[in-house]
Formats: sequence, C-alpha cells, structure tokens
Amino acid sequence: MDDYLGVANDPVFFACGAAIILFILGQAALFSRAAYREGRRLGMERRTLWRSFRAGAISSAVPTLAVIVALVTMVPVLGVPVPWIRLSVIGSAPYELMAAGIGAKAMGVNGLGGSGYTAAVFASSVWVMCVGSVWSVLLVTFATKRLKKRVAGSLDKDPAWRNVLMNAAFLGVFSIFIADPIVRGGLPLATLGSSALIMALVGLAVTKLRAEWLREFALALSMIGAMGAAALLAPLFS
Amino acid sequence: METKALSPDEAYENKMHVIGRVTLPIGLLLTFLPPVILWLRFGILPPGKSLLQGVVGISSVMIPVSIVEILTFTPILGSAAMYMSYLTGNISNMKLPSAAIAMESVGAVPGTKEGDIASTLAISGSVFASELIIALGILLIAPLSARLQTPALKPAFEQVLPALFGAIGAYYIAKSWKLAAAPLAVALLLGLVPGVPTALSIPLCVLSSILAARFLYRKGLVRA
Repeated sequence: MDDYLGVANDPVFFACGAAIILFILGQAALFSRAAYREGRRLGMERRTLWRSFRAGAISSAVPTLAVIVALVTMVPVLGVPVPWIRLSVIGSAPYELMAAGIGAKAMGVNGLGGSGYTAAVFASSVWVMCVGSVWSVLLVTFATKRLKKRVAGSLDKDPAWRNVLMNAAFLGVFSIFIADPIVRGGLPLATLGSSALIMALVGLAVTKLRAEWLREFALALSMIGAMGAAALLAPLFS
Repeated sequence: METKALSPDEAYENKMHVIGRVTLPIGLLLTFLPPVILWLRFGILPPGKSLLQGVVGISSVMIPVSIVEILTFTPILGSAAMYMSYLTGNISNMKLPSAAIAMESVGAVPGTKEGDIASTLAISGSVFASELIIALGILLIAPLSARLQTPALKPAFEQVLPALFGAIGAYYIAKSWKLAAAPLAVALLLGLVPGVPTALSIPLCVLSSILAARFLYRKGLVRA
C-alpha cells in the first residue's frame, strides 16, 4: 500500500511545487506593481498603499496556519508535494479532500489511504483534484471582464448605494460563517464570542488611545487570542 | 484594436484583464504537471474508464458551484483580485476577510477605485504571506506534524473559523448593525436546517443581504 508514497515524494514533484509557487508570486507581483502605480497616479500616498499590502499579509498569517494543519493531515496519504501544491492553488482543504475521495471512489476504493489505495488510485485522486478546478478558472478567465462591465455600468449612477451594496455583499458571505458557530454552540460559540470581544477591545484601543497602527493587526490579534481561549476552554466543553 | 484613445481608468482596467487572462490559464496548466509527470515519467495512469468516471463526478459538483460562486464574488472583488483569488484559492476564509480589513485600515471604501487598489494590494500581500508561510511549513513538515497534533493545540486549530469570523462579525455589527441583521437572521435559519451546502447558502445570504440593504437604503435608514 505504501509503495506509491516513494513516487509521490519524488524530488521532481517538489520542483513542480517550487515552479508553481514562483509563478503565483510572479502574478501577484505584476498585479501589485500595476495597482501601486495606479494608486500613485490617483494621488494615494505611498504609505497608504504599502499599508494595504501589509494589512493583507498580516491578516492572512493566522488563516494560513490552518492551511498548514490541513496539509499535515493530508501528507500521510498523499505524500508531501501534492498536498502542498493543491493547498497553494485554487481550491481549499475541503475541496481537495472531496476531489481526492471522488478519484479513489472512481477506482472502486472507499476512502483515502486505506488498503487497496495503490499508485493508480493515487493518480486518479490527483487527476480529479486537478480537473475539478478547471471550471472555475476558465470561467474567471473568460467571464470576469464581461461581468465587471455589467456591474460597473449599473452601479456608477449611484455611488452611495454602491457603498451600501458592497458592505451588504461582504456581510452576506461572512454571515454564513458567523451563524455556524452560534447554531453549533459549545466551544465554537465560546471561540466566536472571545474573538468578537477581543476585536471590540482592539477597536476601542484604536479610537480611545488613537493607536492607528493597531488597525492592521486587529484581525490577527483577535484570532490568536480566540484560538488561545479555545485551547484553554476546551476541557470545559468536552 | 480600439480606435479611440482609452481613458487612464480604462487603460488600467484593461491592463489588469490582460495580465489575468494570460497568467490564469498558464497557472492552470502548471497545476497539471504532477499528474502528467506521474503518467509520462513513472507510467502511472488510472484506467480510462475510471478516470472518466472521476472527472464526470467532480465536474457535476464543480460546474454549478463555480458558476454560483463566481456570480457572487465578481461584484465584490476587483478584477485583479478575482484573477489572483482564483489562482490561489481560500477565498471566503482568507482573501475576502483580508481585503475587508485592509480597506478598513487605510479608510478606503469598497467598490470605489481606491477601494479596488487597496484590496488588490491587500490580496497580493495575502498571496505572498500565505504562499511563503506554507512553503516554510513544508520545510519544517516533520517537526510540525508532531507539534500540531498535540492534544493541547488541537482544539485551537479546530476553531480557526469561529476565531476568524467572531472578529469579522464584531467589526461589521459595530459598523452597521442594521445591514447585518437580515443576512445574519437568514444564515441562522439556514444553519438550523441540516445539510444545506455552502454553494447554496452563501448566494442565498448575499441575495437577502442585498435586498434588505436596498430596502433600508430606500427608506433612508442606512447611509454610505
């Protein structure tokens, strides 16, 4: 059963991973250079632009740790390079696990890494993970420009409504993830509450103490605090 | 070729589309390197019939999910942000919250040109941070595997999403509780029904959020 792991951990796949990551960073560099120049042209300050970049980086650090945890759980079954590549591109951990599972099932194997999970089954999992993400990428490639024109055309008439609409749309996505721990109760709810409380305290510190620099750390601090609280409170709920 | 001269705004928008439309398909092809190498170099290929079955299986899930997701995210994220987000994934749990917090920390308004630039930079920052941290994790994978699975840390990492969205919720409720009421109520109701997939619940919440916002805006109860 373990023979495919030797192949799965072959250095050539680490090289693939490195190439893909470099390509992704190259794309991000191209976009951020263009956005930076456009910001300067519009008279936005260097500091503001740099701060946006930094806030994005800091806010993503803790969620990335969760990705690494998912990675650690996938490595025993799929080797190191494939989960690394898959979790660095396109989907997210639940998608990859579902796709790998569908790939195994197509070969008549239930579950990942069980007996009968051979090299060919592994290959089937990898193909399915790759093919499943083709659709969204093709759609974004060909439809974004047209969709954007439509949206822009209908919203430019009323900028005030556009602002309200944007916040409402963000809230729509986020509310699903806010409601879930409330429905589940217990430790998830306690974690949600701790995080909200820390965020409120950081917000107070920003306004009362005029600690403007704290803003970009607000999310990271709340997450670390709430995860610490989850570790401490866990025995109460088990 | 366009015959009339482009305004700087249009030129910028076009440039982003060109970069995106060139890089995204190349990136997609690169992701196929591992299965192609498995096949050509190691001679490992699943039988055609099974492969077809797997491809049909995943596609029947992903085609509708992708369409709904893209219709939901395109109006929220700028063009460049879309091209980056779909190459790197983790959109609702990483890219969107990072963009929201970055715009707030520099005082840029979502949906405006400044907001678009701030969120493009924030998502680049997010991409750099996450890709580099994951790569670092790969280098340290052996010691990390042991540490991260200790019983004391396990609950912390199982609660990552509540830890993220508690803060996001507090921020939006403080910012505009009237806007937050409707989508939260709908999300709570949907949460009580078991087995509703996020591919359905997210668009439903976005739609109800926008409809409620339209009503509040018309009545003059919320302002920009």
